[in-house]
Amino acid sequence: MSKYITSLFLFLAFTVSFSQEKELGDSVIENDSIVYKTPYGLRLGIDISKPIKSSLNNSFSGFELVADYRISKRIFIATEIGFEKENTIEDFTNSTSRGNYIRVGLNFNAYDNWLDMNNEIFTGFRYGLGLFDQTLNSHTPNVNNLYFPSEVINISLTESDLTAHWTEFVVGIKAETLKNLFVGASVSYKILLSINDPTNFKSLFAPGFNRIFESGTGFGFNYTISYLIPFTKK
Amino acid sequence: MKRIIIIFTLFLSVFYSCEKDDFCTKNPVTPMLIIRFYDNMERSNLKNAELLSVWAEGKDTISEYKSITKDSIAIPLNSTALETIYHLKINSFDGNLASNQTETFTIQYTPEEKFVSRSCGFKVIFNDVTFTTNNNWIDDFTPFNLTSIENQSAAHVKIYH
Repeated sequence: MSKYITSLFLFLAFTVSFSQEKELGDSVIENDSIVYKTPYGLRLGIDISKPIKSSLNNSFSGFELVADYRISKRIFIATEIGFEKENTIEDFTNSTSRGNYIRVGLNFNAYDNWLDMNNEIFTGFRYGLGLFDQTLNSHTPNVNNLYFPSEVINISLTESDLTAHWTEFVVGIKAETLKNLFVGASVSYKILLSINDPTNFKSLFAPGFNRIFESGTGFGFNYTISYLIPFTKK
Repeated sequence: MKRIIIIFTLFLSVFYSCEKDDFCTKNPVTPMLIIRFYDNMERSNLKNAELLSVWAEGKDTISEYKSITKDSIAIPLNSTALETIYHLKINSFDGNLASNQTETFTIQYTPEEKFVSRSCGFKVIFNDVTFTTNNNWIDDFTPFNLTSIENQSAAHVKIYH
């Protein structure tokens, strides 16, 4: 233990010496004559994680369009619209949710680009709205005994016009790979604000929100390819 | 670009490793019928049913209630029917086959499904419950009717014998 404490002091000794290197000179700030302009415009794309997930997972299908619009050096208005269908298979129930969603919000680019590069490490928030319906395809009453076992009940019950509202925190990256062509990846943490549940059942999956956990939270993931239509350069 | 692919694969693996994380911890969600046996003379005293065997009409004896001596039992109700007929055999004299006494205890009800949770699914509760018996060794019981059996935290029927 004392070895670590000693080395910690040794380390701190060096840090002190740095604090003395403050420049006091009244040097003339020369304006850099070269200003690197970056494009402003509308960026449109698709989330390709959804088709990948659809092909890996038979119980899911979905499609998502993404768009953002740069309003200042660091701030973008961002939106995603999409469709999702998921078959949720649990021990005692089999249900399908399907519907459309929209997410709207802002992204803040925290990355300082070199020269005229145009990459992003961003954080953002979204408001999400999902309109969906959920069908209980079949269920088995949980009677938990073998003396009078229960049977699978194949009565399908659909509840339409369900809505979900939520907020999201997003963290992600975007990189310009070819001119005006961007690839990006992001993860989001979602908090449910309100949701309709079907009568005598529960919304187990909401399009755009993903699986709904008991705590009313969810996770999302998105991998995008998008193209920037530049309007102007600033 | 290479770095992005690595990060993407990492994200994807995290995404797909999200497997079923909750198990039903509320079991049993569908209540069983709980019967307690009391002395018909001293009605507040529990009285064992001697060498008790329990079986439903047309079924084998429930394995845990095969010639046992107990003062309470928990038996399942048939959720796919409107009644369950139970036969309760006791032998309080000598254990000989000839001195078996068998009671026919009938429970009539309306089953109803109620959603519990994602992992537990639907439970079955029993509404408008009526008990009837042929008074062979059972002298009396209480109550005769119940509005519903929703849980098994307390005895549903007291049987006096």
